[in-house]
Amino acid sequence: MRRGAILLLATALVMAGGAVTLAAISPEVKQKVLTAASKNLIEIGVSYRGDQIHFFGVNPVPGTDLVIKLTAEKDEDIKLSVKGRVGPFWMTVKQYDVTGTPFMYKIHTGKPLEQIVSKETAQELELGYEAIRHKMKMVLARGEAAPDDADKVFKGMIKIKEEANLYNIVEDPKRLEVAEGKLFKHYFRFPPAATEGRYQVESFCFDKGQLVGYGKDIIEIKKVGLEHWFTYTSQEHPVFFGIFAVVVAVAAGLGVGIIFGKGGHH
Amino acid sequence: MEIYLPIAGMSINLFLVVGIGGMVGFLSGLFGVGGGFLLTPLMMMIGIPPAVAAASDSNQICAAAASGAFAHWRLGNVDFKMGGVILAGGILGGTIGVQLVKILRAMGNFEFVMKVVYVIMLGLVGSAMFIESLRTIRASRGLDPGVAAAPAGEPKLARLFAKLPLKMHFERSGLHTSAIFPFTIGTIVGIMAALLGVGGGFIMVPAMIYIIGMPTIAAIGTDLFQIVLTSANVTLQQAFVNKTVDLLLALILLAGSTIGAQFGAAFGKRLKGEQIRILLAIIVLTLTVKLFLDLVLTPSDLVSLAPAKGGGH
Repeated sequence: MRRGAILLLATALVMAGGAVTLAAISPEVKQKVLTAASKNLIEIGVSYRGDQIHFFGVNPVPGTDLVIKLTAEKDEDIKLSVKGRVGPFWMTVKQYDVTGTPFMYKIHTGKPLEQIVSKETAQELELGYEAIRHKMKMVLARGEAAPDDADKVFKGMIKIKEEANLYNIVEDPKRLEVAEGKLFKHYFRFPPAATEGRYQVESFCFDKGQLVGYGKDIIEIKKVGLEHWFTYTSQEHPVFFGIFAVVVAVAAGLGVGIIFGKGGHH
Repeated sequence: MEIYLPIAGMSINLFLVVGIGGMVGFLSGLFGVGGGFLLTPLMMMIGIPPAVAAASDSNQICAAAASGAFAHWRLGNVDFKMGGVILAGGILGGTIGVQLVKILRAMGNFEFVMKVVYVIMLGLVGSAMFIESLRTIRASRGLDPGVAAAPAGEPKLARLFAKLPLKMHFERSGLHTSAIFPFTIGTIVGIMAALLGVGGGFIMVPAMIYIIGMPTIAAIGTDLFQIVLTSANVTLQQAFVNKTVDLLLALILLAGSTIGAQFGAAFGKRLKGEQIRILLAIIVLTLTVKLFLDLVLTPSDLVSLAPAKGGGH
């Protein structure tokens, strides 16, 4: 009987322990980080030049470390070309199909990520470039593989993304301001290259490396008006769009000819 | 002031695009050429994806050539029969060209092939123009009396090509010649129109005058007529196959080039023909060197993004 009770207690403890590990990969069950975004919808119009969204939040466990992550909801399938020398020329010599990387990825923290979370937790919650590298899958589509390809392709991909301001990691308390250990504010810049789609902004609180709080905001980017019409029509009704483009061009060309009273500039 | 280009998927300064359109328009007004061969490389230099630059330029060329073609048609300068034969080649070439663009983009080497073709073509045209105008200038100054203003020898080519089979009578041009060469040159220029985003007038007009033997005015009118339809076909197919036509970009370029062309034409009246040609040759050769260096210098990014599946950018 007593033995049975001990066994039961042991099982319960193991289960509880299991629950703790489990909880690390399901952040939703943690204390909620209350957040508010200055807006949840970005509209791409004719004069769109990127946008900025401010976020405000309350850390449920004051004084703990905050990590904010912005990602596109869906990972993308991309093809990366690698250039090499062919005689005197530089041209694409091989291509990789890359999956598992987010279209957009930004992180804000007050101090270096490795001082906040362990490598394992970072990988589990996909925090930091190393975690992306771990998740990324690349398959050679064309050409001959080389031993340093994985490194080259990963670094090249990060560079392309960083140059388009689609990826960045900022570990700076000035960028993620926290008042009295509790109220925090920061902003994310959405560059013009950020296309239509749903993006999520996740706020994590870590206490000595353990996840203790979590919150999530959804931001949607969509094209409106003329931009929406152009994109939608060109993708969904390409034949109509082609005819439309030709008709508009010819009409505009003839119109311009009439205005200037000459036979165009040819 | 920024403007978001929906198909290129980027935000760009409106005045920069209008300015480039204006500059190319100015040069085309000055030199009497279309300027597509300057526009595509310049668009690429400001960050427009090469395939979008080429396809949108075709769309712009369609607009820019339309009023000229219309005017020449009313003046009776279009040889429709000759234009039709060239156009048949142009449609075939444009169709092949657009498929080539698709294959090359998937392989990640569209930009490379495009630049190689540009370097060869601009290098040849630029050098020929430079040498020819230099000779003319020297001759006019009496330094090189042996050279006549009109290059000799070309009528031989016209006679040679006229001997080929499939003879047709072209009333407007007053020619009885083979349809094979016009069709072939139409096909080649059609492929280039799709690959490079050019109208091809700078190849077509000399070919019509010196090789086919057409009168100059009929050559210009007929060339404009076939350019409108060849570039319309290329635009349509690029939109359908590669989804790379940015109509907004094309219209902004048209606005810029139209204004620029007015100034160019006025300014051109003050310069002599050979001075204009040598200036254009220098511009063309400078561009050739720039594109050649792009091909041989180590690129800053060895890894690049291939176009997304299903077109786009």
